[in-house]
Amino acid sequence: MMNHQDPGPEFSAILASTIHDIKNSLSLMMQNWEQWLARLPPEQAQAGERGVIEYEALRLNGMLMQMLGLYKLQINELPLQPDWADVEALLQEQLARHAEILQARNISSSCHIAGPELFVLDDTLIGSVIGNVINNSIRYTRSAIRLSATTDDGMLLIRISDDGAGYPEHMLGRRGQDAQAADLVQGSTGLGLYFGQCIAAMHQRDGHQGYIELVNDGELGGGEFRLYLP
Amino acid sequence: MIEYNRKLFLVVDDFTDFRAALIGMLRQMGVNDIDAVGRGEEALALCRRNQYDVILHDYNLGGGKNGQQVLEELHHRRLLPPHCVFVMISAESSQAMVLAALECEPDSYLAKPFNQASLQQRLDRLIAMKTTLRPLLEAHHEGDHARVLEACRQVIAAHPRYRPQCQRYLVMALGGLGQHGEQERVLRDLIAERPVPWAMLALAELYRNSGRLDEARDTYEEGIRQFPRVPAMYDGLAATALAQGDPEQAQDYLQQGLRLSPNSLRRQETMGSLARRNRDHEQAARAYRQAVELGRHSLFRNPENHLNLVSSLHAQSDDGTLSQRQLVEIRQTLTELDRTWRDDPALAVRSRLAQAQTLRRTGQEDEARRLTDQALEQLQEMPGFFSAEAAMQVFTQLDELGQSQRAQQVLATCAEMYGDDPQVMDALARHTDDPDILAAGSEALEWNRQGILQYQQKQYAAALELFRRAGAAQPRNISFALNTAQSLLRLISREPSADLVRECRACLQRASQMPADDHRRERYLKLCDRLEAQ
Repeated sequence: MMNHQDPGPEFSAILASTIHDIKNSLSLMMQNWEQWLARLPPEQAQAGERGVIEYEALRLNGMLMQMLGLYKLQINELPLQPDWADVEALLQEQLARHAEILQARNISSSCHIAGPELFVLDDTLIGSVIGNVINNSIRYTRSAIRLSATTDDGMLLIRISDDGAGYPEHMLGRRGQDAQAADLVQGSTGLGLYFGQCIAAMHQRDGHQGYIELVNDGELGGGEFRLYLP
Repeated sequence: MIEYNRKLFLVVDDFTDFRAALIGMLRQMGVNDIDAVGRGEEALALCRRNQYDVILHDYNLGGGKNGQQVLEELHHRRLLPPHCVFVMISAESSQAMVLAALECEPDSYLAKPFNQASLQQRLDRLIAMKTTLRPLLEAHHEGDHARVLEACRQVIAAHPRYRPQCQRYLVMALGGLGQHGEQERVLRDLIAERPVPWAMLALAELYRNSGRLDEARDTYEEGIRQFPRVPAMYDGLAATALAQGDPEQAQDYLQQGLRLSPNSLRRQETMGSLARRNRDHEQAARAYRQAVELGRHSLFRNPENHLNLVSSLHAQSDDGTLSQRQLVEIRQTLTELDRTWRDDPALAVRSRLAQAQTLRRTGQEDEARRLTDQALEQLQEMPGFFSAEAAMQVFTQLDELGQSQRAQQVLATCAEMYGDDPQVMDALARHTDDPDILAAGSEALEWNRQGILQYQQKQYAAALELFRRAGAAQPRNISFALNTAQSLLRLISREPSADLVRECRACLQRASQMPADDHRRERYLKLCDRLEAQ
């Protein structure tokens, strides 16, 4: 007879609960940081390190959120709550979340809506996908980030474009649900892409599925992340 | 521009650091009036005194009531002004809590950490929306459905971006006005344009409530195909399966909903009762255990969950023995029950009987008998009576404790009080085949039926005679007493009579024996008012 050992709680569950705690303490750290900044004289408060600290904190938070999201997706506990959402407000909110960093790095940002004002999607999940892409673009862009929403063949197309050097060749192209999680080894960029393609694929309508696509020579000449939602 | 300096804010978070940070952000936005507390109970107390424009509430407050429970109570007690913006803040991604209570959603979820810019962007948007929707929200708050419809149409015409919000209120108002045909048409149009979960749920529920069970089932199944992660779809599908006479299938569906969202008190209660009905006592005990836990700080806590947990634990063992762990759990559960609802004599009787059952299972026959006698004494002196469902459980308890005669008496009283309800009689028939109980009221029922016919034809004197006969045969029946009182009031309004007033008062006194949660209580109170007005 096989000797069964008690496997204990699953490792991924331990990981998930730890990520939770890390997220909480990161959140508390950043709140205290903001309070401290408010008390500093302006010349010290505007020091270059501020941007780095805030950017890295948002990046950390984004990665933790994605890991939790993927964990929940894996155990089938990431519920999708699609409803009519205001597309512009959705994009503006993600820019607002990065307002300080964009300013500190002298990156200009813009938001263009040419498609429908309202669209059916899960605004929490789509918001976090867009936030992660903006965060990633901040790292690679030179001077600008552009958000836009249009329609393409009946699908909502959200584009996050920058004027940086673009994505590496092997990352380009369309990713649907079947795409491999191979990019995970690419660190935070890969994690963000995988999370994005999972969330996009969860959005379905009449047999059509959402997907993401990476292109270069986008609207601002650099990399462009495209999110298609049915 | 929103004038934040004129808005009254409430911040609820158990971390003083976070409260201070949030207050700092709000001050930067120009907010002057901010109350801040750390516990849900304090938030509720403040909302009784003040009309807040914006409430920022942390979901998980460490102890006591959580954000969802506070929001439920604010809604239930109508403590929120209609234009109030309630934002739930949480460190975890909001989805798990979103599912806890679809009936009672906050206006928005905000995940920690957030900066001032994103907070302000969100608040700007929500306040602007509620300002535009104000006429509609106020009409909804006052329950004026016709005005809601009118306001919805105006807002949709002037501000198409708020169309989705308006449509929800529109559908609710049509339901409130009883315009189900129109409600169905609106929902079908919405779904044809683009299916969204709430509309599919509303349409399926509409079908279910009007007995179109096949259509309800199809709609829920289509809803699940399109939105496999919305637990309310499984709740509806389970209710439909149950209505179609398939409780096992229903339990299966509900299980799928629970897997998605286990933190719903009502879903766990439903699972407990379904599993019990299917004699799946393990599952029932699990569900009731969760329900007791979830109810601890909830407005909707319910003593039946404690009693059901204990009876499920009793039922789990075929041979009647209980493990040490089960004994501890039973003791703790009953102690909590006695402590929490100490002024309810009917619960005291049931708790004592449950203790006696436990003692009997552990071989303490004498002690069990002593407690049973105590319970029977309390039962004798109890004012009023159990609800029909509780009565049948007490019957089972007494029967098991060897008190079959007293058990039959409880059933007989139950039949007398609630026998005009065919569902109660069906349930009774599952517990006894004693014709004295099952057929005792059939003559009175027939008189009551004829009385209702006479009443409908405005033959109040003839109706009264029939109701009196029914009432004389079954003096504890609540419906007969209410019907008699109502006919008397008709006659009194035509021709005042001190005798009839006296008789009417006596009838209402009999009807007052109904349990607090009886569906006829509202009617009873109305009749009391009318009698007072004479």
